[in-house]
Amino acid sequence: MITFAAPWLLVGLLALPVLYWLLRITPPEPRPQSFPPVALLRDLPVTEETPARTPWWVLLLRLLAAALVILGLARPTLGPQGGVEGEGPLLVVVDDGWASGADWGARMAAAEAALEAAARQDRPVALLATAPGEGGNPPRVIGPMPAPDLRARLSALRPKPWPTDPEGAARALADWRAAHPGPFAALHVSDGLPAPALAAALRGASALTLLRAEDRPRRILAEARAEPDRLRVLLRQTPQPAAGEVAVLARTADGRALGRILLPLPAGATEAAGALTLPIELRNQIVRLEIENEAQAAAVLLLDERFRRRPVGLLPGAEEGADAPLIGELFYISRALEPYVELRRGSVETLLSRPLSVLVLADRPVAPGREEQALAAWVEQGGMLIRFAGSRLAERPDGLLPVRLRAERALGGGLTWEQPQPLAPFPEHSPFAGLPTPAEVLIERQVLAEPSPRLSERIWARLADGTPLVTAEARGRGRIVLFHVTATADWSSLPLSGLFVQMLRRLVALSAGVAGGPEGEGPLAPLESLDGFGRATPPFPAAAALPPGEGLPAPSPRHPPGWYGPPGADAAFRRALNLGPALPPPVLAEPPAGARLGRIETLPREADLGPWLLAAALILLAVDLLIALRLRGLLPLRLRLRPRPAAWGLALLLAAAPAAGQPLPEGAAANHTRLAYVITGDPALDELQRAGLIGLSDFVNRRTAVTLAEPVGVVPGESDLSFYPLLYWAVPPDAQPLSPAAIAALNDFMRHGGIILFDTRSEGSGEGFAPGARAALRRVTQGLAIPPLAPVPEDHVLRRAFYLLSELPGRFTGGQVWVARDTDRANDSVSPVVIGGHDWAGAWAVDARGQHLHAAVPGGARQRTLAYRFGTNLVIYALTGNYKGDQVHVPAILERLGQ
Amino acid sequence: MPSPALAHRAEAAGAHLPPLVVEAERVAATVMGGVHGRRRAGQGDSFWQFRPYLPGDAASRVDWRQSAKADRLYVRETEWEAAQTVLLWRDGGPRMGWRSHLSPVTKAERADLLLLALAALLLRGGERVKLARAGARPFSGRRALAALAAALPGPPAPPAAEAIPRHGRIVLFGDFLDPLEETRALLAALSARSPRGQIVQVMDPAEETLPYAGRRRFEGLAGEAPMLLPRVEAVRGLYAERLAAHRAGLRQLAGQLGWGFATHRTDQPPAAVLLALWQALSPP
Repeated sequence: MITFAAPWLLVGLLALPVLYWLLRITPPEPRPQSFPPVALLRDLPVTEETPARTPWWVLLLRLLAAALVILGLARPTLGPQGGVEGEGPLLVVVDDGWASGADWGARMAAAEAALEAAARQDRPVALLATAPGEGGNPPRVIGPMPAPDLRARLSALRPKPWPTDPEGAARALADWRAAHPGPFAALHVSDGLPAPALAAALRGASALTLLRAEDRPRRILAEARAEPDRLRVLLRQTPQPAAGEVAVLARTADGRALGRILLPLPAGATEAAGALTLPIELRNQIVRLEIENEAQAAAVLLLDERFRRRPVGLLPGAEEGADAPLIGELFYISRALEPYVELRRGSVETLLSRPLSVLVLADRPVAPGREEQALAAWVEQGGMLIRFAGSRLAERPDGLLPVRLRAERALGGGLTWEQPQPLAPFPEHSPFAGLPTPAEVLIERQVLAEPSPRLSERIWARLADGTPLVTAEARGRGRIVLFHVTATADWSSLPLSGLFVQMLRRLVALSAGVAGGPEGEGPLAPLESLDGFGRATPPFPAAAALPPGEGLPAPSPRHPPGWYGPPGADAAFRRALNLGPALPPPVLAEPPAGARLGRIETLPREADLGPWLLAAALILLAVDLLIALRLRGLLPLRLRLRPRPAAWGLALLLAAAPAAGQPLPEGAAANHTRLAYVITGDPALDELQRAGLIGLSDFVNRRTAVTLAEPVGVVPGESDLSFYPLLYWAVPPDAQPLSPAAIAALNDFMRHGGIILFDTRSEGSGEGFAPGARAALRRVTQGLAIPPLAPVPEDHVLRRAFYLLSELPGRFTGGQVWVARDTDRANDSVSPVVIGGHDWAGAWAVDARGQHLHAAVPGGARQRTLAYRFGTNLVIYALTGNYKGDQVHVPAILERLGQ
Repeated sequence: MPSPALAHRAEAAGAHLPPLVVEAERVAATVMGGVHGRRRAGQGDSFWQFRPYLPGDAASRVDWRQSAKADRLYVRETEWEAAQTVLLWRDGGPRMGWRSHLSPVTKAERADLLLLALAALLLRGGERVKLARAGARPFSGRRALAALAAALPGPPAPPAAEAIPRHGRIVLFGDFLDPLEETRALLAALSARSPRGQIVQVMDPAEETLPYAGRRRFEGLAGEAPMLLPRVEAVRGLYAERLAAHRAGLRQLAGQLGWGFATHRTDQPPAAVLLALWQALSPP
């Protein structure tokens, strides 16, 4: 629906026919031109019918532009304009609780539209935001005042991360009515949640319009629960008519999404549960769960240390020798749990004086009396007691056991017929379900349980013969778990296996988390708050510290949801206050009778079309100007849309630009010294050689006086090899024998002083990386004039041409490197080949940003440096021969000269 | 009717005459280079050539001394003695002061240049030069060029027939765009005094090609009524035909009188037409 702010301007449209007539009869003004032989032009017969009158389409263009100007000046407005009926000032009630955060933009647009409409009607407006303010102040009615003045107040509203306060709003409304008696109209931008008090108060309005977002469910993340192998999430929402699904994102402290839980939502469902299965290390990084694409405070769950931190107390049967390596009672347990949890030692009293998740008793009977009571109370409150059997426990069973113990039994050994028993697969209800049961875990002794009807459901692990290995019983909110073997390797090989570690970790993960400071908790100051959009912000000014104590208060302006903790403490002691768990399941309220209903989503923003129409008119006039110039011949406009074939050809040429590493143009190779590699046909290997030689060339250029150009790939027998001092040849395992032409070219290359570095890439620590490469090397070198070889001697020039090297590593190290034996004087004792398998190119290779492409094996910066040094030596060796070998004699020569 | 503004413009044009003189000397020098080897006619009785006696020659013309050296009789010919007076005129009308975007100079400037260059050539050749204007004085001698240039600006007037001495020659520079009848009347009056004359039509390139397009209103410079053309490019061919016809008329007119006719475009170098003029003016 379009309305006009200045409708009387539309009368101007009546002038259009006049304009049409004027345009029709007035040809464009001719351009004057002085011209002496004008007499010759006189009475020229005009053979062509020229458009003395404006062409019809130009006419149309101008009329359209004029009409647009008139329409634009009349300020048409598109959008919702039906202002609120009724008499008196307009009261805009905005629900700005948590439920409004997700579609806050649409809500503000709706409220602003109402303000616009009221401004057009010159109607005073009052504003009531129903949630308590950030300072904790109760709702208050602002106004009435002219609508433009109120607009700033409205746009300053933000959704709050706590529920609305309908009662407070109703009271504020009553106060306002008392101060401003008389009729009023109301517009309620409602979040749809029940607010009976406010609805009753609004019934007094002369006209009530209720705007609701019917299509958008109100969703909250109600609960997150850590289970041994998964993280469970519960989502609640107002029912939706159509089925769908919601994604919950699990984010780390730095904002990375570690996982995405898809929660299916059948039609009409109000709850959805899902689980995220992640390794415990990854799971422990999650600090925040949020509903995807739902920006509001109740869609965020902050996970504090209760989801992670599990202090474990250890109590041995006898303190002395408990930590002795391999035989101590706590040795295996502490080795298994140390990397993952915080271990504590001490007496029962000291351990229980602080929050504790798990207590492990290794073959330690519990003294009856105070100790047993204290432990029992702790288990009732959620502690997990893990006990290991042993001879002491078997003698003196106590009440803190999941089953009654019967006897000890030995399996295998001199006095029994029975064989040591392996583990049976874990039962389904066990927290160990899914763990593999290695066959090498054998149980030799165990304590047996008294058979009872409920025994089988308490068994979490059993042996192959069905006797229990781990039993558990829930007591109160806690559990007691008993391993029927010792925590040492005496009775079984279970503590020696990796399974032991996994079982203990699952048990610990099953226990209840502990949060809070290490010592007696003080008040927890607000560290970070969630705003109404679920974003982390600095704490609100009115936020107060959480009182010490167990229970968390419901989020409110005084305690906004977010992080709380002792200031300056590390993240381990922070506590999260979440909005979702504190909220009742969201339900939609019935709209009050007599109210006009509107939908927030269906209200497009009001748009003032005037500027757009004027802009369009301007564009049309500019086009008209161009056309007019063209018609008068003043604009030599020739459209050339036909692409030039040459340009296309150039583009194609550019697209097909030769990739790097292509053979150089004729003669260009002679201009610079450069390294070369033999193209093997394996693109990955060729790229590796290329990258390696680039890295080496850079290194050599930086460290020596040699200036090497970019390396190039060559094909023996086809390329001219005479320009290259050094050929790198990574021999692929599937290399085929060479062609006669290639053999001749390579032999010629070596005879004239070239050096070939053969690299099988499978020597030393790289053994097995390229199986078959040695056989391939043999195939490749068939027919080549390879001289007799020897390992590189300690005093070989290759080891001291530039750097002094005692080893010649590449990406691998430890293998042998071969050169020609020093008997061949033909080439001045310079070896024409260097053969090895250290994958030097892999060590040298850098990418375009100068980063190394491959890790060295076994590794270390030293190895890579040595690899580069070997490469430098090799280049110097290839360029200078045994010159450096002669240098050795310089002192002797000088001495002789001196004499 | 010369308007004050026009006189003013003429004065302004005269202010830069010395450069015009220099330019005219330069153009004349290039033409002199082009006629290198040509013998000049001089004043007085200087020797020209001996030629064998032909029957009918007066005996008094026989050069006895020369004839005594050979078996034949030789007649001594002296050089052409009578210096001619060449009248020069250029159209100073308002049409001439126009130039289009295609031309570097106005037609009047080019006509002045041609006139002075031709005058320079003639003065070097010993001829007398006179402006075809009532009461103008003749100039002779090489130094007279600057004086001639100084006398050149003046009120636009048709060439005065009474200024022409008998058998004097006349060279007219102008665009000759007036109706043919007017030109015919003018030339008839002139040719009564001067049997031999030259017409040089100086035109702007735009006047030949009509390089305009679109809707234009053409305004004459001599007070003609403006002419509106809706699409100039459509009449370009017709205009060319009409101009060619006008030019053919002029040529025919000149032919009937035994006069020479040449055209010149202001975007072309002046030397070519000057050379043609010089050759046409030289004695047969």
